[in-house]
Amino acid sequence: MAEWGRECDVVVVGAGLAGLSAARHLVRSGLDVVVVEARDRVGGRSWSDTTSSGVVVDRGGQWLGPTQDHLAALAEEFGVVTFPTFISGEAVELRDGSRFTYTGLIPTSDSAAAAEGIEAILDLDLAGLEVPLDAPWEAEGAGGLDGQTLGTWLDEHLRSPRARGIIDVAIEAIFGAGPREMSLLFALFYLHAGGGLTNLARTTGGAQERRFVGGTQQLAIGLAAELEGRIEFGTPVDAVTHSPEQVVVTSSRAEDGAPHRSVKARRAVIALPPALSVRFDWSPPLPWLRDQLSMRMPMGSVTKLHALYPEPFWRDDGLNGQLISPNGVLGSTFDDSPPDGSHGRLVGFIAADKCRHLERAGRDTLRAAALEELERAFGPRAAEPTEIVEQHWSAEEFTRGGPVAICVPGALTGFGPSLRQPVGAVHWAGTETATRWCGYLDGAISSGLRAADEVLEALGNEPVQAEAGRATRGDL
Amino acid sequence: MSPCRPRRGERPVATSEEIAEAYADWRARSNENERLKKMVRGWDRRVHLSTTDTAEGYTLEVRDQVLSQLYPGHVGQPDLIVTGSSEDFCDMFWGDLNPSAKYMSGEITLAGSQEDVMRLDAISMVAFLDQ
Repeated sequence: MAEWGRECDVVVVGAGLAGLSAARHLVRSGLDVVVVEARDRVGGRSWSDTTSSGVVVDRGGQWLGPTQDHLAALAEEFGVVTFPTFISGEAVELRDGSRFTYTGLIPTSDSAAAAEGIEAILDLDLAGLEVPLDAPWEAEGAGGLDGQTLGTWLDEHLRSPRARGIIDVAIEAIFGAGPREMSLLFALFYLHAGGGLTNLARTTGGAQERRFVGGTQQLAIGLAAELEGRIEFGTPVDAVTHSPEQVVVTSSRAEDGAPHRSVKARRAVIALPPALSVRFDWSPPLPWLRDQLSMRMPMGSVTKLHALYPEPFWRDDGLNGQLISPNGVLGSTFDDSPPDGSHGRLVGFIAADKCRHLERAGRDTLRAAALEELERAFGPRAAEPTEIVEQHWSAEEFTRGGPVAICVPGALTGFGPSLRQPVGAVHWAGTETATRWCGYLDGAISSGLRAADEVLEALGNEPVQAEAGRATRGDL
Repeated sequence: MSPCRPRRGERPVATSEEIAEAYADWRARSNENERLKKMVRGWDRRVHLSTTDTAEGYTLEVRDQVLSQLYPGHVGQPDLIVTGSSEDFCDMFWGDLNPSAKYMSGEITLAGSQEDVMRLDAISMVAFLDQ
């Protein structure tokens, strides 16, 4: 166990992939690091959980796509095998009380609507390429783009309600928020950071291309293995006292009942979604620009639902497990079965307004509605899963939503430069601060490495690859 | 009806003549499509096609919102390279095959700048959907 009341070089708050990547990089560069984690596990939004029937389900991030090089590198390093998402066969579209099947990116039952949708997606993706990833607020016409929502833009550019329904449901699954909730400039930045909406929506060739045998959390566990004794679990931070030279992170509600525990460090890396980082008692208070940025970056609302079956029966019907259902509870689903197909599993997203409305209606209602929809899409066997796993990310005390934080209009142009700007000795990590694959596991890793590099530069250390267990500097 | 239908007992391939005939049909439809014309505004590019099964090469161009004829061989420096089976090219040009499905299965690949790949990807899908 890490010592409490101790001093170290760097304290990292949050043991998700961002915090762990930062911590390992700093330790390897010879610094003494303590990671403080609220939960009793590592991984944050990467959480591979064993169900009551003994199978591993990724309750959080679960896919690997091309150009997610940081994520792929960790998988390779830890020997975690990846396999292609099952895509053989047709996808299902539910709309207007009817069921259709299709192949390709977008439902083709109304080909004119699909063509209009493709044109709009191309317009968005091309506009995204014009947004600088490291400074979206410097995009040409940034004020106008940030002064409207993605929904406003779609209202003006898409006449077909069916095309709009398809794009809305894709946006909701990607952000946990609807197009009307987010700044157009932010949406364009985010699409650019992930290679375009087409890329984000795709399986093969896109963000859902591959999965991890045994789940993505193995990567966090692998990183944590190199930080043994440095991670303090079950310790939610509730106060940060900081100056340009020093940071003291305090928890008064640690699980073991200790009344008050703290770490004093020369630098801190806060690896949390912006909205959570401002819940601490900051002394002195954070600069108001940073605080108000956090007010303008709400978390999305998403529940991830896995339905388990004795076998992936939809494959026998020539279906690939993918569903698009613009008006349905589960807006989209994917085949989530293990690589050997030894049992069947579908994963779906209940996102944005649907997630909020169903939370009010109650979780029994949510579950019944989801099963009814799966039955309509994949037949009667879909109504009888052997097990259901629901992950209500918005209800998670230490995440409070998902998959990602969005920016409301005005956030990036008014406050964007504060997103990564250190505050004295405090540095910011987390996938929301990433410039590539923002909102994804890959972005979390790169954000941690970037924050660690900032710390090393600030402390005058050269980033070096040190042996694990090498003596730390201890020169406070 | 596609003339590129499989031949009994052998792996189907499309000859250069068959591909040229299908392409001529695709070109005529595409050049009349207002949505496609809008999507290629200001986008003048040269595209090389390469077949994986028959090892043939073809070249086409987009100039001033108009799709050129299909030239045999690889002519000049390409902005984009599209690779796939002769059969798939033929079916795609006849409008019988959704290129999006082939991109997603990896059977047809596009190589070029990010913008050019995005454009060609979308244009070929719209050509299929909007016929």
